[in-house]
Amino acid sequence: MKKGMIKVSDSFERIVHWCMAISCIILMISGLGMMFHSFNFIAIPVGGLKNLKLIHNFTGLVFIPSLLFAILIWWKEAGIFRFPEDLEWIKVAGGYLWHVDKVPETGKYNPGQKAFFWAVAFFGVVMIVTGLIMWFPLGFPVKLVRWMYTLHALGFFVIFSFFFVHLYLGTVGVPGSVSAILTGWVTRSWAEKQCPKWLKEMEESGKLEVSE
Amino acid sequence: MSEKIKLCDLSKCTGCRGCQLACKQWNQLPAKQTVNYGTYQNPPDLQPNTWNVIRFQEISENGAVDWLFRHDACMHCTDAACVKVCPSGALYHTKYGTVALDSAKCIGCKECVFACPFEVPRYDPETDKVIKCDMCYSRIDNAMQPACVKACPTGALRFGDKKEMLQIAYARAKELGGDASVYGDTFVDGTHMIYVLPRKAAVYDRLPEKPRVPFSVIAWKDWLKPLSLLAAGGVVGGAFLHYIIHGPKDTSGGGDQASREGGE
Repeated sequence: MKKGMIKVSDSFERIVHWCMAISCIILMISGLGMMFHSFNFIAIPVGGLKNLKLIHNFTGLVFIPSLLFAILIWWKEAGIFRFPEDLEWIKVAGGYLWHVDKVPETGKYNPGQKAFFWAVAFFGVVMIVTGLIMWFPLGFPVKLVRWMYTLHALGFFVIFSFFFVHLYLGTVGVPGSVSAILTGWVTRSWAEKQCPKWLKEMEESGKLEVSE
Repeated sequence: MSEKIKLCDLSKCTGCRGCQLACKQWNQLPAKQTVNYGTYQNPPDLQPNTWNVIRFQEISENGAVDWLFRHDACMHCTDAACVKVCPSGALYHTKYGTVALDSAKCIGCKECVFACPFEVPRYDPETDKVIKCDMCYSRIDNAMQPACVKACPTGALRFGDKKEMLQIAYARAKELGGDASVYGDTFVDGTHMIYVLPRKAAVYDRLPEKPRVPFSVIAWKDWLKPLSLLAAGGVVGGAFLHYIIHGPKDTSGGGDQASREGGE
């Protein structure tokens, strides 16, 4: 590794991220295969829709602990909006949509990332609760179960869209980001642009890990 | 092929349960031991092995008691919520307008069980599949009547072309007068089982007055489904436009070697 790289994620964070990412992608693909007749072909390699259903349901069981750990790990840094600085950032959309001379400095996560955290945390819990009731619906009131499917579809609508935002901004949209969740190390210039306040705080407290 | 309708004139039903038995016979659905709980209605409800059941209901009015019998089975909706939600295409409309079921395709997800406004489809844990009346598709496709109709000794059940059956139904309701009405042709774009009800629909046990595809199903299937693909497509397209117009974020710069040359 090159000198001067900065550590932004620990191994536990990266494990949780990838457990959630992989289970979420399997859930989205298998869900699509059951949601649209035109995507039923997704079930062909696994031997039919019934197997796809089983894959979807049991992958959900991997997603549940992943999401719970993700919320536990990140809610302090990504779950709490801090005003007024976050509002200033939102006013200029973080400089992502038009040219901004001086983007307001943010901590470890910017308000856009915090919105993503909340979308995943809230709708992730919605997906878990509705999904479990859809899996074992018998015995619940009919009117309750009916809305579980609708809420599950609403959660898919939100998470599926946000997934592509996350994918773009985590890769080509913000170069140098992928290594933050692959190796945990990023360049100093990346950290200065993406989490300037956090970088300063870490340096001041002497907790910053820099590669030799 | 013209639409077919099973007409069920409750004023002619004597509660003999010939239809219930004929259904079991034709569809090879052996009965199971049940318990007498003080009514002729047996089994107590539709079951995976009972696709039509006569509901026995006692009502008292002005000191007199009336005994109602209702042949309860799949209504075969035109705008069928079960077909709308079925993820595998197991439930489908036949050329007669009825709703049949390809059991081999059923994955036992139970979505239809909760979508049906009449609460007709039943889940069978033994086969892990849902099952319901298919109006004897194997029979009607061979120019025969459904087994229940064939067995009905009083003419309460009739089967024929939609136009003719509706004519008979309306003429019969008019003949009966009073609260009598035709039930089925005016909702869910018309059902393919039609009742002539001697009394108001609200009187009958487990018969919804204004059945419709549940709003939750419409919001789910008609709105959220297309929206989810549109939104994701918009994001992917938007991200591409963002990249070629605004450009990616510049995370380079800085004095150290790693920042200048990129990480790793």
